[in-house]
Amino acid sequence: MMRNLAKLRASVVKEARILLRDRQALILFFTMPVLFVLILSLSLRDVFGDRPGATFPVLVVAEDQAEVGRGIVDTFRANPHIRLALAERASEAQARQWLIDGHYRFVVLVPAGATLQAKRRLGEIMAEVPADLRLEQPVSVRVLADPSLRSDYRKVLEGSLDLALHGIEMKLGREQLEQALRATQGSHFTGLPDMEHGRLFQPVHGETVTKRGGGPTPTSVQQNAPAWTLLAMFFLTVPLSVAFIKEREQGSLFRLQTMTVPAWVVLGGKAVPYFVINQIQMISVLAVSVYVLPLLGGDPLGLGNAPLALLLMGASASLAAIGFGIAVAVYARTTEQAAGFSSATVMIMGALGGILVPKAVMLPIMQELAVISPLSWGLDGFLDIFVRGGGVDDVLPEALALLAFSAFCHAIAIQRYRRRV
Amino acid sequence: MTSTASPSPAPQADVRVGTPAIELKGLSKSFPGGRAPALDGVDLSVPRGGIFGILGPNGAGKTTLMSILGGLILPSSGSVRIDGHDVLTEARHIRHILGLVPQEPAIYPTLTARENLDFFGRMQGLSGAYLESRIQACLELAEMTGEADQRVEQFSGGYKRRLNMVIGLMHEPEILILDEPTVAIDPHSRALIHDRLRELNAAGISILISTHYMEEAELLCDEIAIIDHGRLMVQGLVPDLLAQRRDEAIELQFFGEPGAGLARALETIPGVQRAEQAGCRVRVFSDRPEQVIAPIMQRVQAEAPTLRSLVFGRASLEQVFLSLTGDRGAPR
Repeated sequence: MMRNLAKLRASVVKEARILLRDRQALILFFTMPVLFVLILSLSLRDVFGDRPGATFPVLVVAEDQAEVGRGIVDTFRANPHIRLALAERASEAQARQWLIDGHYRFVVLVPAGATLQAKRRLGEIMAEVPADLRLEQPVSVRVLADPSLRSDYRKVLEGSLDLALHGIEMKLGREQLEQALRATQGSHFTGLPDMEHGRLFQPVHGETVTKRGGGPTPTSVQQNAPAWTLLAMFFLTVPLSVAFIKEREQGSLFRLQTMTVPAWVVLGGKAVPYFVINQIQMISVLAVSVYVLPLLGGDPLGLGNAPLALLLMGASASLAAIGFGIAVAVYARTTEQAAGFSSATVMIMGALGGILVPKAVMLPIMQELAVISPLSWGLDGFLDIFVRGGGVDDVLPEALALLAFSAFCHAIAIQRYRRRV
Repeated sequence: MTSTASPSPAPQADVRVGTPAIELKGLSKSFPGGRAPALDGVDLSVPRGGIFGILGPNGAGKTTLMSILGGLILPSSGSVRIDGHDVLTEARHIRHILGLVPQEPAIYPTLTARENLDFFGRMQGLSGAYLESRIQACLELAEMTGEADQRVEQFSGGYKRRLNMVIGLMHEPEILILDEPTVAIDPHSRALIHDRLRELNAAGISILISTHYMEEAELLCDEIAIIDHGRLMVQGLVPDLLAQRRDEAIELQFFGEPGAGLARALETIPGVQRAEQAGCRVRVFSDRPEQVIAPIMQRVQAEAPTLRSLVFGRASLEQVFLSLTGDRGAPR
């Protein structure tokens, strides 16, 4: 056993030397995930977080300057996500052109006389004029939207506008009611109670739920840092399997077989250096996410409060990736086969596992399918730690699943490696 | 060769003197989907202490045989014993006494020569001062001490093959198997490998070498076996094999291809049984060769092709090879 451990050490030293001499590959291993995290976290930060920075240029063409025009403007002005621009007059054609040119993402056209029209219609409703005999139609506040604006944002803006119009309806209705009551009750009428200060419901604020309570709000970096670390870890299966097959093609692997070097020494000699690279990848991505990203204006990564759980997840994800790489290497016949198969499989596992697209925005069926991807197990584990405040107990199922996957891959690889025709 | 590089003789050589170094009995190997067996009932006994050559055209089964000896593939039937130990069941024992040199340099191109020796030495279980002394000895054996710390990828083919060979000697094996060790290398490296093999053999190491080069086998080997279509065609001492063919032919070689009429003209000479032309060579068969040489020379001069050489009375291994394998495989 001690002899074999000495052989394993020599095998690790040999592999490390080969890796350290391939500078370009090393640079790629470490810069790829770091760059991905920086670029994606900065560009997607507003998609995830409830940040005041997520603003959209909205133009309100308020040809009506009375209650309706003012009400809409006031509501949008109070919304932190809206960067408001005002115009008193603009044709629809002009507004469309501004949208196409990208000046605004959303244009609200409030027609002239909107307030007057609304009040007249209200009068008819109060006078109980039958619907088919009413002269005034409902006021049309038109909305034009940039097609590139995500549909959920458009709905948020439409909802906000609807809410503003509803408030105006309430206000105009209340005024009409007061006038009617004053006309019938004369001096006995002292006014309706102040509804502004008598709300029936508390303002709604969603609360995020974490396992340990009080975790930080999920941000893009919390999705991206583990996602791209995992993808980078699994992408190491490409150089790992290629290196293994090259060794076979060069004949050095056969030489080792004639020396009856145990399979675990040969495969372990590959696994250990790649494990170290995986850990350095993870540490560098986390360090960049914690320290560099805030300097560039992004959200800092909250690492949770369970360093042991983080180590466990890093180690199990890496072992799973290495096991997969070694299995591919042993079964593939050529380097082209190995590189093609492992990169395509990793991309598919990444897409399925919520790496490329967060699972939360996937269709329900795809979310259920994600469970077959080891990258999904890894991502769930990391999100347990970063977002849900989880500890070792919480990530244990994911870690064990990854370790089982790794053990399975290593077992079939060793079995195949030992096989002689 | 320096004193440090001298391989020590097999420690128990005299005890096992009667045991062949390598013994194959009824060895067969068929691959799934293969039309014919790659090896078909080969019986072979490689005696201890000599240099034994395996010759055969491409596809004869040499590489399959080497792979079975190295334990890389399993025989379909038959047995292989190295130093009296079964290759399948006693692989660990054999590992210590067997050195295997694959045909293609099985080395790491981005490591230096020293690092390659160090790694493979450790994989053989060597360590410490002994490992260091073996690395130095092997570098000297390959005449590469000046290049020890250069990466292998910068080496010429000859240097790579030298390193490839000495890696197989790191653990001082008693039996050395080399698969075509001198293919496509410069004459200097080839001569060096030949010299080293003779020295190693003189020091008591049994050597089995597969080769394409007839000249190499003739120069280097005490005994040879020729295999073709997976079958053993002949096994014997080189002088015996050559003697068997001695009276076969007078061989004429020309600088250019002689006209087709030459062979017919030679056949008209009394005492000549037949004459065969193949390319630039004409072989003349006679049971009284001494008497027909003068008339042959007259005819040759009359036909006027430029004669390059005339060999008589000494069959070459190539002739033995060609007569057994039917001119297949273009031996060199």
